[in-house]
Amino acid sequence: MFSSVLSATLTGLDVSAVHVEADVRYGLPQFTMVGCLNPQVKEAQDRVRSAFKNVGLDLPSKKITVNLSPADLPKSGSRFDLPVALAILSACGEIPEHSLCGVMAVGELSLSGKINRISGVLPIAMKAKEVGVSLLIVPSANEAEARAVSHLPILALSAISEAVDYFRDGVLPQRPPVIPPDPALNCYKEDFSDIHGQLSAKRASVIAVAGFHNLLLVGTPGSGKTMLARRIPTILPSLTPEEALEISRIYSIAGLLDDEHPITGVRPFRHPHHTMSPQALAGGGKIPAPGEVSLAHRGVLFLDELAEFHTQTLEILRQPLEDREIIISRASGTYRFPASFLLLAAMNPCPCGFFYPSQMTRCSCSPKAIRDYRNRISKPLMDRIDLSVLCPPVSFEDLTTPNGNGSSSASIRSQVEAAREIEMHRFAGTSLHFNSEIPASRIAEFCKLEHGAEAALEHAFRSRELSARSYYRVVRVSRTIADLEGSPQIRERHIDEALTYRPLEESFWEGKER
Amino acid sequence: MEEIRTILRENPLYPGRMRELASMPERLYNLGELPDDGIPSVAIVGARLCSSYGRSTAYQFGMALAKCGVQIISGMAAGIDASAQAGALDGGGKSFAVLAGGVDICYPRGNIDLYGRLIRNGGILSEQPPGTKNIGYLFPPRNRIISALSDIVLVVEAKAQSGSLITVDFALSQGKTVFAVPGRVGDLLSDGCNYLIAQGAGIAYSPEAVLHELKIMHDTISFAKSRSRIARFRRSVEKRILSNAAFTEEEKRVFRALSWEDAYTPDQIAAAASVELPTVRAALTHLLREKLIHEPARDSYQKGRPQGLIVPSS
Repeated sequence: MFSSVLSATLTGLDVSAVHVEADVRYGLPQFTMVGCLNPQVKEAQDRVRSAFKNVGLDLPSKKITVNLSPADLPKSGSRFDLPVALAILSACGEIPEHSLCGVMAVGELSLSGKINRISGVLPIAMKAKEVGVSLLIVPSANEAEARAVSHLPILALSAISEAVDYFRDGVLPQRPPVIPPDPALNCYKEDFSDIHGQLSAKRASVIAVAGFHNLLLVGTPGSGKTMLARRIPTILPSLTPEEALEISRIYSIAGLLDDEHPITGVRPFRHPHHTMSPQALAGGGKIPAPGEVSLAHRGVLFLDELAEFHTQTLEILRQPLEDREIIISRASGTYRFPASFLLLAAMNPCPCGFFYPSQMTRCSCSPKAIRDYRNRISKPLMDRIDLSVLCPPVSFEDLTTPNGNGSSSASIRSQVEAAREIEMHRFAGTSLHFNSEIPASRIAEFCKLEHGAEAALEHAFRSRELSARSYYRVVRVSRTIADLEGSPQIRERHIDEALTYRPLEESFWEGKER
Repeated sequence: MEEIRTILRENPLYPGRMRELASMPERLYNLGELPDDGIPSVAIVGARLCSSYGRSTAYQFGMALAKCGVQIISGMAAGIDASAQAGALDGGGKSFAVLAGGVDICYPRGNIDLYGRLIRNGGILSEQPPGTKNIGYLFPPRNRIISALSDIVLVVEAKAQSGSLITVDFALSQGKTVFAVPGRVGDLLSDGCNYLIAQGAGIAYSPEAVLHELKIMHDTISFAKSRSRIARFRRSVEKRILSNAAFTEEEKRVFRALSWEDAYTPDQIAAAASVELPTVRAALTHLLREKLIHEPARDSYQKGRPQGLIVPSS
């Protein structure tokens, strides 16, 4: 007898519906699986066989053929165990013939008959809604994730026996209801007011976060660069529901969601180590999994000790920083992952770390060593950093002044949220999210310059030899500065401040005067 | 472009200070003039990666000595060398650069403006034929010519075991006097200078000390006069700014918090002027645009126009 149930497979971030068909007929006892399957999928037959045995069901001694169609689409992963089992149960008459009509199922079986957690449930649930299934069956561990998609009938199962009970007798498994944790609930142990001094670096962080501009912190060891970066999550603007789903979709596929966080409630903050491989950054594998640039989507990618990263790895950042997505080509196809992130980088100014313009007396590096160190970061990459700021060594006064640390994370965050509010209002009806994303063609529309601001910009353009790219960068940054102040127009002082965060020019590293 | 002269040792134009010494090259290539034998000459040398204090000290020594008729010899390297030579030219004097490579190659490239000025008001010299690239091993021998052309070698900022000390070694073996600008104990950039002083070098506590050694009768009163003139000028500039309605109250506070001698970071200025940092940063760019302050190094600001400004040509 023949039976079929829907399931789904993932290729990159895309989900495709798959029909799992089972045919059970007289013949030599045999279990065959076909349909462009990779080994993980084929292993399903052994798991299904044992799971059946252990819950008291028997595979009939017949010829069983399972086909996953479309048969030309490569399929991988262990999420086909449950649909294969259901299709066989239906085909051999253990559950009613038409009960699987319009049902989509995903899940991995254990040998004991339990249904285990799988990755990628959120995008599958989105697909299920799109296809219009009558029921989506997911492992109970993934229930909260699946329920994030509204108006979709979900059945969460923890064992294959529960599936049999449900389809035979309509018995729903009894479990205490899942209480989804409050996604907005997050408490940080650190606070911005922990940082002594470093007014400029703090200010630049606020601007960077409010407009999602890339930020480079250059400073002596121990000046608080890493400390500052680790406090960035405490001031990130909150997520819109759409953004939360967008991020969770990636995290679901990467298998990084858990019971506590079925849906990501906060912006991601990724800080990979500098020994990271290019594939880990971009996304790797035969069928690529999302890399760090995609895991940092709509959040922060923090690269500490930027100069210590392999050049090859860093150069990968160029395309995602420009296009806000990364395209990975493999023999099996081209995969597109979103990668719109805030690049936060920190580095020492030289190998010994004490090269600092006004306090050169402490650095023991030769000019060549400094030049080589600086050259580890290519100019095109430097060019894509919107804000650069120096972190001078912290003075004794800074450390000992009580209450001299400035604002707390909470007050900065409310400032950031206010600016974000203005941005959302400005970009309503467009695909833009932050000021840093304003394309050059729409600068004039979104960034209205006051007369004095235009003159200041023109002066800077002529005297400092700003490139076209840096011109737009200054305008975007000053847009954010104006937003932080609540000013609809960009004023002269906003341009003036933005100009001081320009990228570190060659002459900085040569210790030359401007 | 001026023509490059080749001057053989037999040529009467060959600098007399060099002819007296052994181990001097047989031929010398020259753009512009050659140092005059009858005029006192001082070599000012020091670190390439120097502090902004060192740069302005070199500039001031170059200028003060040039004003008293001294010709300044150096290597046109970035940092101390270039600042001292720019100071000499700004003081209306002459300055000569001895290059390691050919005289037709401006090294470092960033000093192309200075290079042009030196050809017009002094000269460029080298023992290497035109077209020779600046390779590392050519620099120490070049230093022996710098010291040979001078009566006094003045070291402004130098780390221990640096190229400047090679020049000093040559100077001592050639019987020249060595002066060093004293620095703070513990500053890596002053280690070399302080070491020289410990070894018996003259202490260059002011340009007068060097002039005294050269037995140049200078008018002490004129130095004092020029100092008070500078102070008067600065006061008038400050007055003009502080009474100018084009500047906001905060901008004036920021300007007052800055100094003529030292550079401060925006963070330090914000604390000293009790002005919010964003306002400080905006004010600094505005003052910079009005050319009332300058930025000797990234994120460090100082009152007045840059001294020894070397503008990269590119």
